[in-house]
This record gives sequence, C-alpha cells and structure tokens, in this order.
Amino acid sequence: MSDALSPELEALAGELALGLLEGDERADAMRRCLSDRAFAAAVAQWRERFEPLHEAFEESPAIDLWPAIQRRLTAPEDNRLRSALSRWRAGAVVSGLVAASLAAFIVLRPMPAPVRVVAPTEQGAIAQLGDEGAAALLAAQYDPAGGVLRIRAVRMPASALAPELWIIPDDGVPRSLGLVAGGGVSEVVVAPETRKLLRDGATLAVTLEPRDGAPHRAPSSAPIAAGKISTI
Amino acid sequence: MQVLSFVGTGQNTLYLLDRLRDMGREGSQVMDRTTASVRRERLVYDLARAAEGDQGGLHDVYRATSAKLFGVCLRICQDREAAEDVLQQVYIKVWDRAGRFDAKRGSPITWLCAIARNTALDWCRANHIQHLPESAAAAVADSAPLAWEAIASAQESARIVACLDALDERPRRAIHAAFFDGLTYLQLSQAMAVPLGTLKSWVRRGLLQLKGCLGHE
Repeated sequence: MSDALSPELEALAGELALGLLEGDERADAMRRCLSDRAFAAAVAQWRERFEPLHEAFEESPAIDLWPAIQRRLTAPEDNRLRSALSRWRAGAVVSGLVAASLAAFIVLRPMPAPVRVVAPTEQGAIAQLGDEGAAALLAAQYDPAGGVLRIRAVRMPASALAPELWIIPDDGVPRSLGLVAGGGVSEVVVAPETRKLLRDGATLAVTLEPRDGAPHRAPSSAPIAAGKISTI
Repeated sequence: MQVLSFVGTGQNTLYLLDRLRDMGREGSQVMDRTTASVRRERLVYDLARAAEGDQGGLHDVYRATSAKLFGVCLRICQDREAAEDVLQQVYIKVWDRAGRFDAKRGSPITWLCAIARNTALDWCRANHIQHLPESAAAAVADSAPLAWEAIASAQESARIVACLDALDERPRRAIHAAFFDGLTYLQLSQAMAVPLGTLKSWVRRGLLQLKGCLGHE
C-alpha cells in the first residue's frame, strides 16, 4: 500500500492530486501513475482525503444551460466532442491542445487488479489484463514473427471513450499502441521500432481515451486494466 | 403493554421536539442534516436514472446541483462565459459516467464537485489561463473564504477541516488556494512572492503533516 512509499513520493502524489504540478513535472507524475501501482493508489487516496472539501465551494446560480446540455446529449458523439472543443481551440495554441490531452487525469476508477499470467496456449508472448473481478478484462497475445498483437476484450466498462493500449517498458514511459475495440478481438500491428519493447516483464495497460488524436503521446487517465507480458 | 410503549414513544418525541426548540442553532443543524440526507438520497436516485439513460434523471441532477457546480467552475475559471462552457461539459461527463458513481464509496455531491473541479482545471490548463494577479493574491491572502459551515457539520468532513487548520499558515494558504482556486506551484510562488523551492518545501511538509493528522482516526 501507500505506506511503503517514500515521503517524497507520498508528497508528489498529493501535489498531483491537488493540481499543483504543471508541464513535464505533471506528465512525469502521471506516467508514474501508470507504471507504479502504489503511487497510483496514493494519488487516489489523496483525492479521497480532499473530497469532503468540495462541499465548501460557494453556490453561484448560472443561466439555464439545460437546453444546451440536452442538445449535446442528443448530438452524435463526434459532434459533441468537436463542439465542446471548438471554442477552447479558438484561443488555444497547439501546445495547449497537448496539455488538454494530458489534463483529463482523474482517478475515479478502481485500481487495476493484480497482474496474473494466463496459462500458455500457443507460441508467443501473452498477457492477461485485469482479472475476473475487475471492471475490465482483456487478453493479449503477441506473434513476434508478424509483429501482430491480438487483443480480446472479454469485458469492458461502458464508456463514450475508447480503450487505448499502452506498452510500458522498463523506463516506465508508456507508448501508445493505438486504440482497440471495446469488444471482440482487435489486431494491432506493432510498429517495427516499438516491437523490441514487447518482451518479458514489460507491462501492457489499457486506459480510456477520447478518439480524437489517437494514438496519444501520453495517457490522460489511470489504467482500467494492466498486465505483464510473459513469454511462453 | 402496547399502550404503554406507545405513550413512551410519544413522550420521547415530545421531549426531542422540545430539545430541538430549546437548542436553537444546534436544533437547526439536526434539521439541516435530515434535509441533507433526503437531498442526498434523491441525488443518488437521480444519478441512477441518468445511468440508465433517462435524461429526466440528469435534468433533475442539473436542477439540484447546477448552482453548486457553477460555483466551482466560476471560482476556478474566473470567467463567466468559460465557466458556462465548462459547466455544460461537466454534465455531459456526468451523463457518461453516472454508472460509475458508487453511493457506498462517497457522497454524490462531492463526486459531482470533483468532476466540476477537474473539468475546470483542464480548461485552465488547455487555455494557459494564468490567474489575474488580483484574484491570485486574494486567493492566497484569505484561507477561509468559503462556505465552511456547509461541511463542518458532517463528522468525516470536519476532520479534514480541522487537520488543515492545524497546519502552519503559509502551507495552509497554499493548499487552500491550490484546491479551491486551482493555483499551480508557479502561480502560487508569484502570488505569495516566495521562491518556488521554498514554496514546494512548505507544501510538501504540509501535505505529509496532513496525511499524519488524517491517519490518526
């Protein structure tokens, strides 16, 4: 648990949860969330600690925005995202958009279940992401000859966002392998320069991300499922 | 026996009412708590309706909470038009995520406020919003500008308030302004006119002290 964290990391988790960090510091802390389960748990714990404070915000009546909200609810999903972003984009420079994709970081989901390796069936590398009790459960199988990763989504939480697959090698920096389907089997052709990362001990993780702009440079949220690759 | 126990109950009720009347402020807090729990149940129910795809459920959530959530957005965005945009975004998120709300794990209003706060912070980051010097200065000048009494009555909430109050003034102000105004380290160091390194060491020490304080249940 988070008790095992050093005071530095414990404070960093609090800083991230409060929103004190910016730029690279923030991106680094968010990456750590993906690669370090204890750290991600500490961030979630900090959010819980601060949660009661939310009630102290003062009320302030807004003009009636319900008609506008209702229009967005019934608009197709793509239009919805676009209309939500259009006004922001107008004033934002390109780096602002990158920041936006990093910014939606919220740990509201339960932590991913402990890693378990699936019994070998065929040649190649294989990983199970999530476990029986988790909201998300995926199975991954990698064919090194063709560089093809097959992902079977056994169970995924309902969401307007799309599952994005990440490989996290020893350096702890997630690289996107692109979006995968929320159900059935997806085949991901792994780019030649990324193939060497898919090996024993590396972590495969899935986060929920907006479809726009995928594959993303960095995840914007905590993983809903993660598992370690095991070569058979 | 039946009659006796009935009388007993009646007396207790009368006694309770008298006590409530006598106690004035304390009595109204008891009533507030009752209203609050009814409101909470209603909100949980409406969120569940929204999770099932009922727009009426979301509309009821909007009616009950939009003033509160707009307060969150406005305080952080510091711009009415932006806050209105963000508020729309917030309810779309609530619609998408209503199924993930777990009433056993937390209160619906804090869950909603957390979505609003994060969405507003995202907006600030995406737009490189730097707080105007005046509002940032105000944010760090006063560390109790809020509806503190709104949470002071609930037991588990009072704990974090008490622990924050126990911090030294400077880390307390910094943590307040970070939480309620969305100020980052950089903005805080400008507003408080202290070097970044000094500020960070105050805040880190404050956070660890806070964790220790909250850990002693």
